[in-house]
Amino acid sequence: MTFWKQALEIARVDMVVERRAGETLRIVLPFSVVALMVFPLALGLQLNIVSVVGIGVFWALGILFGMQVALRQSATDTAERRDLQALAGVDPAARFAGRVLSGGVLMAGFLGLMLLATAILFDPNVPRGGWPVLLVSTVLVAIGLTELGTLAGEVTTGLRARTPLASLIVAPLALPLVIGASQAVQALERDTSILPWVLLLIASDLALAVAGVALARPLEEATR
Amino acid sequence: MRRVRILMGVAAIAVAIGLWFALTAPPDALQGEYARLLGIHPPAMWLAFLAFGVTALGSIMWLINRADRWDRLASASVEIGVIFTAIGLFTGMVWGQAVWGTPWDWQDPRLMSTAVMFFVYLGYLALRNAIDDPTVRARRSAILGVVAVIQVPLVYFSVNLFRTLHQTQSIRPDGSTMPDEMLTAMLVNMVAFTILYIALMAARLDVARAEAEAKPETSLAGDAVRPPLLNEIEDV
Repeated sequence: MTFWKQALEIARVDMVVERRAGETLRIVLPFSVVALMVFPLALGLQLNIVSVVGIGVFWALGILFGMQVALRQSATDTAERRDLQALAGVDPAARFAGRVLSGGVLMAGFLGLMLLATAILFDPNVPRGGWPVLLVSTVLVAIGLTELGTLAGEVTTGLRARTPLASLIVAPLALPLVIGASQAVQALERDTSILPWVLLLIASDLALAVAGVALARPLEEATR
Repeated sequence: MRRVRILMGVAAIAVAIGLWFALTAPPDALQGEYARLLGIHPPAMWLAFLAFGVTALGSIMWLINRADRWDRLASASVEIGVIFTAIGLFTGMVWGQAVWGTPWDWQDPRLMSTAVMFFVYLGYLALRNAIDDPTVRARRSAILGVVAVIQVPLVYFSVNLFRTLHQTQSIRPDGSTMPDEMLTAMLVNMVAFTILYIALMAARLDVARAEAEAKPETSLAGDAVRPPLLNEIEDV
């Protein structure tokens, strides 16, 4: 089996498990929409402020709840499953790539639905031509956040405080993604080029992909 | 132990000399006495970068040859690096309040990236604290140690990459932008802080070695109790 066939098979199995468990669509997504609804109430229903901070709230909550998607239980391998994959000769790098593929699709879908909810609930101030930029940024953030979450999830596999610990690792490292995504839209408002911010997002995604593939084998050993 | 005492003594003398240079340098025309923070703030951040670089080196070496000493080196260096990052952040905020009129500027990438680096390494320490098995702890923290060091060049070059309130590097390939007295004070303090780092590392590594040797004899609460084996259970 080639590298990509292994990766696609891992991704397919992940998606099947997620379809059965429904962690992202049935739990994390409704929770994040509730959080979006709480925010205007906390601001005292000042609708002008809600429109101004709308996209910022989307990115903040998107990163926080996106971590829950990246660290979802259905993407956590049991020790037995890991042993089985190792015996079957699955390349650890292919496992990382597969997990990022499935997680990235889920994350992009999750963030896309959250963006839709933000657009409906917050009616955010978005500059002309801002929505396509937001969509591109969302996809790039989804990829980076999934890569980060997969790395942090592997490093914290089997630990008692896995979720808060992995979040502590992911949240600060996700900051280049938040900065790149938020500044890309702000650049449109300032009438400056969005290219440096999109490049920052692409560079972060690539650096994390390289780190994930290069460290896949030590990570495989680390979780035994 | 004697080696650590000697190193600590040398470090204390070096830091005292560094402080003397910082306190006797002339005040800045614009910043006044606050310019003396040059003797603490840049050396503290230099030490943090050095410490996290040593952590990455220790982590890579552990991944290559799996010797415990590299894991001890990496973790000891993070502890010192985190403390000096906190000192760097605090002194930077004091300086910012005096010069920019605010201790924290959300648009300043140097401040933000330094704070992020601080939290990433706090996460590293939390990860180590959460794992009991020494080999598993060493493996996982080595991986995080390698990934986390990406922050260091980001923090250092953030002032060149983005528009920022923070000044760019004062020492450049074409010379220094500072008067000689200030430059001397900063460089002497950088050397003094480096000696302090070596002394603190020596002390922490001694403690880490002692901890590793003591571990096999350490018993946990409840170790004396074990569940009965099947052949010990009598039918009732």
